[in-house]
Amino acid sequence: MDYSRPDLADRLAAEYVTGTLRGPARRRLEQLLPAHPTLRAAVKRWEAGLMPLTASVSPQAPSAEVWKRIVARIGGAAAAEAPVPSWSSSLSFWRSLSMFAGVVSLSLLVLFANPKPNQPPIVVVLSSTTAPDGAAAPATFVASISGDGRAIVTKPLMGVSVQPDRVLELWAVPGKGAPRSLGLISASGASVVSKSRLPAGTAALAVSLEPPGGSTTGSPTGPVLYVGKLVL
Amino acid sequence: MTTTPSDWTEKSQELSRLLSRAGLGDRAAFATLYERTSAHLFAVVLRINRDRGQAEDVLQEVYVNVWRAAQSFDAAQSQPLTWLTSIARNRAIDGLRRAQTQPQFQLSTHSDDEDGDVYDHMADPALGPLEMLRQASDARELTHCMESLSAQQRQSVALAFYDGLTHAEVASHLGQPLGTVKSWVRRALASLKSCLDGASVRDRRDTGTAG
Repeated sequence: MDYSRPDLADRLAAEYVTGTLRGPARRRLEQLLPAHPTLRAAVKRWEAGLMPLTASVSPQAPSAEVWKRIVARIGGAAAAEAPVPSWSSSLSFWRSLSMFAGVVSLSLLVLFANPKPNQPPIVVVLSSTTAPDGAAAPATFVASISGDGRAIVTKPLMGVSVQPDRVLELWAVPGKGAPRSLGLISASGASVVSKSRLPAGTAALAVSLEPPGGSTTGSPTGPVLYVGKLVL
Repeated sequence: MTTTPSDWTEKSQELSRLLSRAGLGDRAAFATLYERTSAHLFAVVLRINRDRGQAEDVLQEVYVNVWRAAQSFDAAQSQPLTWLTSIARNRAIDGLRRAQTQPQFQLSTHSDDEDGDVYDHMADPALGPLEMLRQASDARELTHCMESLSAQQRQSVALAFYDGLTHAEVASHLGQPLGTVKSWVRRALASLKSCLDGASVRDRRDTGTAG
């Protein structure tokens, strides 16, 4: 079957989203989705059209047990209670970050390079937060972190232009709480950010644009240009 | 406290933000996301798989999946509730395949026993699929589009969509030949498509947003 034919793709997508496409046919379509943009677009359209129909189903609370099991599966205990976000300490930072993060699908890679028996360095790829709509965010910086978090080396992967009166500052973004500065980094070459131990619970690294000398407030003041998630 | 169709869009900014944060590893944001959305997703799953235990297993899989895939959520392409509900429905339908127990069928013939008819076993006994369809279609364009369907088309789509019935199951439920039901569903979807496409064009024109 030629899945790039829009009429066929659309019919299959409709049956898939309605739920009447079943068994091997359903599985086959799911396997085809990543490689077939026409099919994927058709599924997205049908989902957007039909999912609001579920709005009339009366909410049903699952037992509290379900959330506990989810937390156990995703490997964290901290969030098991009091689901109150406490990231608001640096509002402008989060506003800009979430705005960008929502639009850009972050292409984040975590590579376990050089697998030594213990504490291999972790490589975080930081991608631009300002890619045009729909485009993949270009990987811009790579940060390798020694296993113990004591040394971080950042390198630009492509030419990064920064106005002469601005500098780049690297931040450790925790899962909870305010980001912490790791120091200034070079836009043109490798920078070693040492001595400042990576805070426990760091979830992502981010790079913001700051005045010379870096942020004086302890929080990012300029736009967040690059971000990369840390997965341990 | 039903999710009204207008909530669908109103909630989306907040949910997009929570999803983005979850994508960056923020567990607290993920917990809030769960708090705001789990009752809706659970209800959707429970319509398809009426075994509460199995439905809870499905829900657990859904959120583990959401946590892992949150960074790939693209607010420019999908509404968060649409994205989440799609994941939940797909998991629920996959779950039906694995769980060999599909109670909806032996019950579909309005058995005389005290269990009553099929809707007594539903998570949401007050509302049958058609009634829900009617309520859901309070959303402007959906109302209009649903009205363009014949009663049989509407009922077939409602049974398939809300309850996760296959063509064969819908046919058996309605006491109609399989081929007839297939063509009802197909025609219903075709007219919904042309209607919704028209509506989204109108919508864009009205609000001035670029898709």
